Amino acid sequence: MMRWTGSVMIGLLLLFTLVLPWTGVGRRGTDGEVRSDIDGAVGRLGETLPPIELLDLDGEPLRLEDLRGQRVLLTFERSVDW
Amino acid sequence: MQRMTRERGYRALCGVLGGLLIVTGFAMFGGFFGYHVPGSDSPIPTGPVGHYMMGFAGAALVAWGGCLIGVVRRPRWGRSVGTASAVGLFMAGLMRIVAWIVGDYHVMAGEALRIEAVLFLSAALALIWLRPALPDDIIEPDDVGQAPAP
Repeated sequence: MMRWTGSVMIGLLLLFTLVLPWTGVGRRGTDGEVRSDIDGAVGRLGETLPPIELLDLDGEPLRLEDLRGQRVLLTFERSVDW
Repeated sequence: MQRMTRERGYRALCGVLGGLLIVTGFAMFGGFFGYHVPGSDSPIPTGPVGHYMMGFAGAALVAWGGCLIGVVRRPRWGRSVGTASAVGLFMAGLMRIVAWIVGDYHVMAGEALRIEAVLFLSAALALIWLRPALPDDIIEPDDVGQAPAP
């Protein structure tokens, strides 16, 4: 009984693994979805960003509005050095 | 005859898995020490915490592999090692599938995650179905370690 229960669980997970790329499951999405997001972002060039408030490296609040009139380079990155 | 073939397959699978686990475990364990050699450049993109976890996991893999090598010598007495290994391989496969879905790991490892998951789950299934039967004449002790009265 335990042998069959375990086999069904493993078999279902194995089947899911094999069909995973065709299911559309996952946050990273398909290549097509990612490219469509990029197109959307490019279409917003020149528009005004919405109000953003973040903490700087000293923990002080930093508002995008405070940088008005200056050149701002906004980048997003995620460190893997944890 | 079928029982002998199954037992031979079980021993071979445990031997291969045990050997791979020991080699991988020593490599991971050594990676922790290599990271702390001044001027060294680790091939693993992680920091002190990641290398600490890696070294500990390597030590556990060596122990796991040693248990599987022990099964090669006496397969019928190592049935629970095979079952526990199947559970461990199932968990490892599940973790890789989630890592593939999350995406951050997919950038680093690509389809290797899914290939590993298929290998682990297949090995888990094989461990379950190749597990040798108990000998007919075995006397199992009861809960307090006493052999049952005849």
